[in-house]
Amino acid sequence: MSIVKYKKTAPRDAPLSETTFIGWLQKNLFSSWVNTILTIISLYIVYAVVKSLWFWGIQDAVWVAENRRECFAISKHGACWAGVLIWLDNIFYGRFPRDELWRVNLGGLLLVLWMAPLWLPRVKDKIFIGLSTVFLYPFLAGYLFAGGDKGIFMQVMVSGAIVCLAGNTLHSILGVMSGRGLPEVLIGILRKENASDGNQRNTLLVILAVAYVIAYALQTSWSVMAVPWSKWGGMHLTLVISGIGITSALPGGIVLALGRRSRLPVIRVLSVSFIEIFRSVPLITVLFMATTMFPLFMPEGFVLNKLVQVIIAVCLFSACYMAETVRAGLQAIPKGQYEAAHTIGLGYWGMMSLIVMPQALKHMIPNIVGSFIGLLKDTTLVSIIGLFDLLGMLRAISQDIPWRGLHHEPLIFGAALYFVVCFVMSKYSRHLEVKLSAGGER
Amino acid sequence: MKLNFILTVAAIVAISFAGATTTKAKTTLEIVKERGHLRCQVGPASPGFYNLDAKGEWYGSDVSVCQAVAAAIFGSKKKLEIQSVSSQVRFTALANGESDMLSRTATWTLLRDTQLGLDFTAVNFYDGQGFMVPKDSGITSAMDLKGATVCVLTGTTTELNLADFSRANNLNIKPVTFEDSNVRNDTYLQGGCDALTNDKSGLASNKAAFPNPGDHTVLPETISKEPLAPAVRQGDAQWFDIVKWTVYTLINAEEHGITKANVDKMRSTSTNASVRRMLGVEGNLNEGLGLSKDWAYNIIKEVGNYGEIYEAYMGGGKLGIGIGRSGSANDLWTRGGLMYSPPFR
Amino acid sequence: MAIDDSGKTATLKPKAKFDFFHDERVRSTAYQILTACVVGWSAWYLITNTAHNLEVRGMNTGFGFLTATAGFDTDFKLIEYKPGVGTYGRIFLIGCINTLLVSFLAIILSTVLGFAVGVLRLSSNWLVARLALAYVEVVRNTPLLLQIIFWYVGVFALLPRVKNSLDLSAGAEVAFLNNRGLYAAWPVLDDMFWMTIFAFFVAVAGVLLLRRWAHRRQDETGKQFPVLAASIALLIVFPYLVYLASGSTLNWDVPKLQGFNFAGGAALPPAFLALLVALVSYHAAHLAEAVRAGILSVDKGQTEAALAIGLRPNKANSLIIIPQAMRAIVPPMISLWMNVVKNSSLAIAIGYSDVVALFMQTALNQAGYAVEMVGMTMAFYMFISLSISGVLNIYNKRVQLEER
Repeated sequence: MSIVKYKKTAPRDAPLSETTFIGWLQKNLFSSWVNTILTIISLYIVYAVVKSLWFWGIQDAVWVAENRRECFAISKHGACWAGVLIWLDNIFYGRFPRDELWRVNLGGLLLVLWMAPLWLPRVKDKIFIGLSTVFLYPFLAGYLFAGGDKGIFMQVMVSGAIVCLAGNTLHSILGVMSGRGLPEVLIGILRKENASDGNQRNTLLVILAVAYVIAYALQTSWSVMAVPWSKWGGMHLTLVISGIGITSALPGGIVLALGRRSRLPVIRVLSVSFIEIFRSVPLITVLFMATTMFPLFMPEGFVLNKLVQVIIAVCLFSACYMAETVRAGLQAIPKGQYEAAHTIGLGYWGMMSLIVMPQALKHMIPNIVGSFIGLLKDTTLVSIIGLFDLLGMLRAISQDIPWRGLHHEPLIFGAALYFVVCFVMSKYSRHLEVKLSAGGER
Repeated sequence: MKLNFILTVAAIVAISFAGATTTKAKTTLEIVKERGHLRCQVGPASPGFYNLDAKGEWYGSDVSVCQAVAAAIFGSKKKLEIQSVSSQVRFTALANGESDMLSRTATWTLLRDTQLGLDFTAVNFYDGQGFMVPKDSGITSAMDLKGATVCVLTGTTTELNLADFSRANNLNIKPVTFEDSNVRNDTYLQGGCDALTNDKSGLASNKAAFPNPGDHTVLPETISKEPLAPAVRQGDAQWFDIVKWTVYTLINAEEHGITKANVDKMRSTSTNASVRRMLGVEGNLNEGLGLSKDWAYNIIKEVGNYGEIYEAYMGGGKLGIGIGRSGSANDLWTRGGLMYSPPFR
Repeated sequence: MAIDDSGKTATLKPKAKFDFFHDERVRSTAYQILTACVVGWSAWYLITNTAHNLEVRGMNTGFGFLTATAGFDTDFKLIEYKPGVGTYGRIFLIGCINTLLVSFLAIILSTVLGFAVGVLRLSSNWLVARLALAYVEVVRNTPLLLQIIFWYVGVFALLPRVKNSLDLSAGAEVAFLNNRGLYAAWPVLDDMFWMTIFAFFVAVAGVLLLRRWAHRRQDETGKQFPVLAASIALLIVFPYLVYLASGSTLNWDVPKLQGFNFAGGAALPPAFLALLVALVSYHAAHLAEAVRAGILSVDKGQTEAALAIGLRPNKANSLIIIPQAMRAIVPPMISLWMNVVKNSSLAIAIGYSDVVALFMQTALNQAGYAVEMVGMTMAFYMFISLSISGVLNIYNKRVQLEER
């Protein structure tokens, strides 16, 4: 019998190819002949592109000038960013009166404020907050942007929106600080924890009614100057059209998708043909149809302004795409869920709203964000029918007499703007995708 | 549940109708007065005629005509809403009531006057189509363009005129159409086509925007007549007269030497009967139009006369595109041009 | 003890009380009738309004304009047309053909490029993978309209002027590239050429049969047959032999510089080239993402097993991975192909005369028959899109998993 002695040898260092930068280079970039050639070609492409962009866009560029001739005088081959910078207000706000820009900014700020709780960790009832954004925020923002006299309907909705915003903010602050929701805190303050459910609910409703009356009284005396829709433009108009498109696409898409899956033949046929018609034609034909044919569809004396026509067209179009997204989401729910819902006695609408839709929404959200990005890019088409959206404004710079002919720089600026917005949103959607499926993957 | 559903549907219907406005059968003047401002339609942007400046305000000679009509009705050129409509839908937007008048370099043609539901009022600019070529191409006349490629903007009479001209003279011109004038100009500058065709006013403004304007020349031939006039909906005679006579006021004011600066003085001290009638001191010319006595006075006070507008936007003014006026069709009839207003009596 | 059930079980007869409002058949029929009535009434309302408005405004209706002559010309047409002689119907046909031409080429090229970039995204070369990522992200996040304009302006910056045309055939002077377009010699066919064309179609059928036979042979014996090489040989050699045997001659229409432009031969305008490049790059980026997702959806075990049995990486890809990845790739590819056709309508921005630019813009401005023209254009796009989705859905069914 021989005794085998174990002598521990010191662990050796990792090979150079794993630890040093040169090793990394060799493994990743130069591992084979093909890779080496590809790397060299890629490096050359990167160098050429970056060099020309740097020289044209930054090194030789003119940042301050009075008009284009001056730009040429200062630097013949550089970019003339001066025109874009002077037109920045037009690009972002369109022709909105410069004294009233605070309204647009406030509208954007309110949206951020309203939707911020969706990201905060300890806030409850996120679905309610999300839905209230979709249904109530448009009225408040719409009034801020359009102004003028408020009709009864507008007053009601604006007060509701104010109450909702105040409630949401309080609720989120309470949630972040103490982990409890606003209803809980209110019940606690009024010492009704031990009261019956009905009693608690009524108390909350009374508080809500009081708040609503206060808000209504406050807003009757508040009004802002009317700004006609023809003054809306630029990035603001693009966001308005896409925003309205997406928010109305969701309920419309759900209705169409449910119709498509319906067992009733008439409804199914109508839904399928509606969806297929709008999905198989380009958006530009739908826009043309809206602007040339909608006025003919209306009875005499009934006038729809151009913005409403475009928004209706965009809503119809995006509802059909959303219908397909919803359908994919519904198909991802196992059949067992439908069957179980029927077993416990839920009717069609009960099953849809309580069991199926909440699960389906989880699958749909990344696609919805993707649709919104697509819609944002597609709204550049409205410039072809004459609305001064972001692209229309960028093109108008080249017609302004001091800046005649300046059209490359605005377009590049526009492309960069779109890229930043869309890239951020698509990164967020990918993050959402990972987060939402994290529980589901084994 | 059912009540919820019905309420939701009713709400949706109500919301969707919120964007619409109903109008009863009133005259256009009544509608405009009730609304409180004039709605005037221009196009995307055309240097000299209607442009957007960095502050978001419109300026140009067609915009001035809109301002004049607003001044005639309300006394102030600020009671004006300018809508920019693309060329595809410009005529339908007027026909269905979205705007009250169209002031946007629309050429007055038989087909448009009769088949599109609108009427052209009074010509405020006589233009013609021409060609521009690089100086070093050696082309000196439009007849040299045999087999040439010509850049043209789509959706306008320019395309048709080019085709007619090519056919009439057997030139076999190949058109390259564009929707964006900048892309068209770029193509021309890079040599993608041999010539550029556009109304001569447009050619002048395009040329001034090129990096080296001196390298390009406008060919002498004018191959079409392009009388540009504001248009209104068919069927409202009073409104038609108002817009028409607003344009004539501008021309007549220049003929009588009334300017923005001296209109007050002219009103109080002039002894010319025509001037006194026009400015409302005598007579009742305003009654047939349904406007106030000061209607013409307001026009000139707010906007100026035709010559001032031309100088500011088409001529050598700071915002002008630099077209000469003397000897052209746009000069007053007393100097040999075609700007002629019927008498104010 | 057995339980005696004879005749004593009380049969439960359900009390069939016909509750009118809760009976499913009644309700479903009622809903359908209600929907049909609402839709029908709305349609009738819209149609009567339209007719009334058209009449009141003095605008013309009817399809008679299709036989009226059109006064304008277009620069790119594949069929005969003369302004003042050609009709609006012919204009519509020209537009449709132009759209189909650019869409067809864009679909083929973008599919090829999309697969290539999708595979490159997963390359082991860090720089190449990052560059592919940058390309996909930039192209997907900027609007297509801006990209089309950029390519168009860029094409002009790169291409030479007419006088300095690039001779693509290196001296033989049969193909030229300049910023007026791509000019190439085009064959002039004489009468006997139809036989060669017929032979070409026979060769195509032969290639398909060859593929079926080669697959069956591989399934049975495991031996592989060089199908690609044999197909190419068949497609070229067989028609050529027929061509020689039929004694027809092939004349070429060579482009020559006359005056301002090249005359003769076939010409593709730069707007077409720019549109093609823009569509291809945009849709290839989208397809690359779908391809990447599809390849990633295939279990990693498949790659490992394929490498373990000795397949080279590229063979492993083409024989094992990609056929399985197609399951996840084909559905987005269907909508991608439809999008190519729809996005070709953006040709209007750079002046390529597709059906939207030519018929719905130019012709509509001149003739004014808004409802009919928009309707015809939409019908055309619907027909094309539904055909594409129909054909591809057949292919999709073949690659999908059979689910119980």
